[in-house]
Amino acid sequence: MDAIWQGLIKALQLIISLDPEVLEISGRSLRISVTSTLLASLICLPLASLVHFNNFPGKRVLVNLTQTFYSIPTVAVGLFVFVLFSRAGPLGGLNLLFTPTVMVIGQMLLITPVLLGLTISALSGVDRPIIDTARSLGATGFQTTLLVLKEARFAVTAAVIMGFGRAISEVGIALIVGGNIRGFTRVITSAISLETSKGDLELAIALGIILMFAALVVNILLNMQQQR
Amino acid sequence: MRRVTYYLSGILLILSLLFGAAGCSSPSASSSPLQPKQRLRLATTTSLYDTGLWGYLEPMFEQKYGVELDIMYTGTGKALEYGRRGDVDIITVHSKTREDQFVSDGYGVKRVPFAYNYFLIVGPEDDPAGLEGLTPEEAFGKLIDTDQGSFISRGDDSGTHSKEKAIWQEIGYDYETVRNAGPWYIEAGIGMGPTLMMASEKQGYTLTDMGTYLTFKFRTDLEVVVDERVLELVPIVIEGEILLNVYSAIIVNPEKASPAKMEMANHLVDFLTSPEIQQLIGDYGTEDYGMQLFIPHAGADPEQD
Amino acid sequence: MPLIETADLCQRYGENDILQNVNLKVEQGEVFALIGPTGAGKTSLLRLINLLDLPTSGEIYFDGTSIAGSARPTIELRRRMAFVLQKPVVFNMSVYDNIACGLKWRKENKGDIRGKVDGILEMVALSGYKDRQARTLSGGEMQMIAIARAIVSEPELLLMDEPTANLDPASAAKIEALITDTIHRYNTTIIMSTHDMFQGQRLADRVGVLLNGQIQQSGYWRQVFESPRNEGVATFVGVENIIDGLVASSQDKIVTITVDGSVIEAVSDSAVGVEVCACIRPEDITLAKSKTSSSARNSFAGRITRIVSFGALRRIELDCGFPLVALVTKRSAEEMELDKGKQVYASFKATGVHVISRQGNDPD
Repeated sequence: MDAIWQGLIKALQLIISLDPEVLEISGRSLRISVTSTLLASLICLPLASLVHFNNFPGKRVLVNLTQTFYSIPTVAVGLFVFVLFSRAGPLGGLNLLFTPTVMVIGQMLLITPVLLGLTISALSGVDRPIIDTARSLGATGFQTTLLVLKEARFAVTAAVIMGFGRAISEVGIALIVGGNIRGFTRVITSAISLETSKGDLELAIALGIILMFAALVVNILLNMQQQR
Repeated sequence: MRRVTYYLSGILLILSLLFGAAGCSSPSASSSPLQPKQRLRLATTTSLYDTGLWGYLEPMFEQKYGVELDIMYTGTGKALEYGRRGDVDIITVHSKTREDQFVSDGYGVKRVPFAYNYFLIVGPEDDPAGLEGLTPEEAFGKLIDTDQGSFISRGDDSGTHSKEKAIWQEIGYDYETVRNAGPWYIEAGIGMGPTLMMASEKQGYTLTDMGTYLTFKFRTDLEVVVDERVLELVPIVIEGEILLNVYSAIIVNPEKASPAKMEMANHLVDFLTSPEIQQLIGDYGTEDYGMQLFIPHAGADPEQD
Repeated sequence: MPLIETADLCQRYGENDILQNVNLKVEQGEVFALIGPTGAGKTSLLRLINLLDLPTSGEIYFDGTSIAGSARPTIELRRRMAFVLQKPVVFNMSVYDNIACGLKWRKENKGDIRGKVDGILEMVALSGYKDRQARTLSGGEMQMIAIARAIVSEPELLLMDEPTANLDPASAAKIEALITDTIHRYNTTIIMSTHDMFQGQRLADRVGVLLNGQIQQSGYWRQVFESPRNEGVATFVGVENIIDGLVASSQDKIVTITVDGSVIEAVSDSAVGVEVCACIRPEDITLAKSKTSSSARNSFAGRITRIVSFGALRRIELDCGFPLVALVTKRSAEEMELDKGKQVYASFKATGVHVISRQGNDPD
């Protein structure tokens, strides 16, 4: 117990004293996950609208498949991206393995199903008469889509935040395709994994606290936004 | 439809900007005047990382050559695999047979040893299997015969794991037999430092390199380390020809990896084998642990006694 | 040229015919009410006209142009109309933004939008609600916003689907006032549906009766009300006495119709031997305690089977050999001491009987 307390106290000291390593790793984690979430949203929101507003054979299968991939293991995505971007792989020529960029790509892949699926169900939550009214008032398909996204904004934001939560808390991709390079691709989760295994629990605990704090802030924002 | 096209090209643009940025910071685009810093990718065996040696040398090298050294912390097996796939430019590992194979298969340019130390078998102070004073081969034989005390294996295809397998082979055991010999044999699947921690927790024996053991045993930075977590393991078997542990650097075949980084990789090998750095490697840790973690030995394998 | 014309419009959903051969013409500036019971196909017809759905077959002409075409002209055409749905729909934004939507979508400039929206808000007397969240309003207010949102873009054709169906009477009255105001102010062509035929009477120039997916009759309200073309229309426009009979004689447009042994006289062109319905509005029937010599050609003794109160009116159901329903005021009912089981005399004029040929039941 004593070890845990001491670890916790030292961890808090690290945070309060704004330890440069803690700050650097946390900042990188945020940057990478925010980027991947934003880019994935830019792709998934329109894609979800396309899927939602169009009927095509296999739509149900697609939606079910998407839901199946909600909980795809991060290491599976990591492995897939590794094989893809390894120099011997099909996209090896891009020379992206072990860079933050490929971590962003991996996280985008990871959260795409969640974003897509949750956005589709968010859009399904918008009543049919809303869509009819928009069209009858002279909205184009695109304008209607924007309106429906706007109507579903709470649920859509929730989807995006879920995606962000999954991105920032994953470790498989960070380790496998990021390589956990200090000062370049080391993020909160991969650092925790490394420091714990090395026995440097203080840094691990400090980063863990920051990660939980980030989750808390995100949830508070979500709640505030939903209560408005 | 036109809008959709615009939109998608916008996303592609953002992505390509990202790609572009990554390209600039990677050595392949080193000719770009905007981003002069090259990145050199090194995959290293965990023991050179856990001892802090790379953390110590990295800034010196980076400063001297104006390069970003990206260090991947991994086992020898994975480091070799990264090399085979061309995902890293240079590797520092410790498993001579496999290194020779790697070079002769055309994946590596050449193998340059730069330091060595010894493996040792560590275990709990009360030595339940009574291995003290035995040779490594005898100790392994006794472990499997008597079923006394557990053994934590790296189990991760690392250099240390290779050495362990070599010892089993030496005394005539098929490794598969050993793996299935009983619950006393534990495969950890993690780095050297973590394996030591696990052996300490479980009060078992393990094979370790001297450097990592000393680092974990005598971490003096008490500001950070909490007493309870100091390794409760002592050296049990320390002598034996088979325990020699040579670290070498291998430049990955530039046709596999990145030709543009060949020069920088050569710089790294020159750096490691330079008298100045050899001196630093030899001195590394002596102040903290009272003994050498690594014996510098640039250029060739040390003579075995 | 009519603003809207449909030709043999059919809509089928699965096995069900929602609309069958609908032929409708609505002239520029006209207010047309589609009346019919729930489920008759009024909404479907409005949706087709607004291009929200595509017909199974048939044509719709808007201002002379066929509009069941491709996607591109649809938006241009649809922007010349507006549609107010039955259920009040507001978007989850401020009242101002709700009303401004259509104008923003048409990419009008900000200043124009501001002027128009403020004008409309004043017209619907909701200026004070400008910045309120539309979802926080009452149903009536929401429908007010919905109509304001539709008319702010000054559509050539305004479609409204039962605009007062889900509202309390006070709100409904306000909405009706707004519609009347709109008619006067903008001279917009309006097609609205309602299941309330009196609302149709109050607001519309012409009405069309839609029953079971077919337009049974269309014309001026009075014409439809007084001369329903068939039993269905007659029932819907409130003719409670529809009595089957056979034309026994005809002389100078006066026919006698035999009904279960009784004889009803009526004014009609029907030929002898034709099976007909005699339609008599309950308010056209007078009741008396004794047989009087009134000018009414038809007089029948009957026993009261049931009395139902209807506000200030009493609905008296009689058995005169055939069932007959009459409406009397509460006061005269009390004076005559009408009661269940009592015998009374019901009389009505021959001109109060509208005769419908039962063979000629087809809609057009």
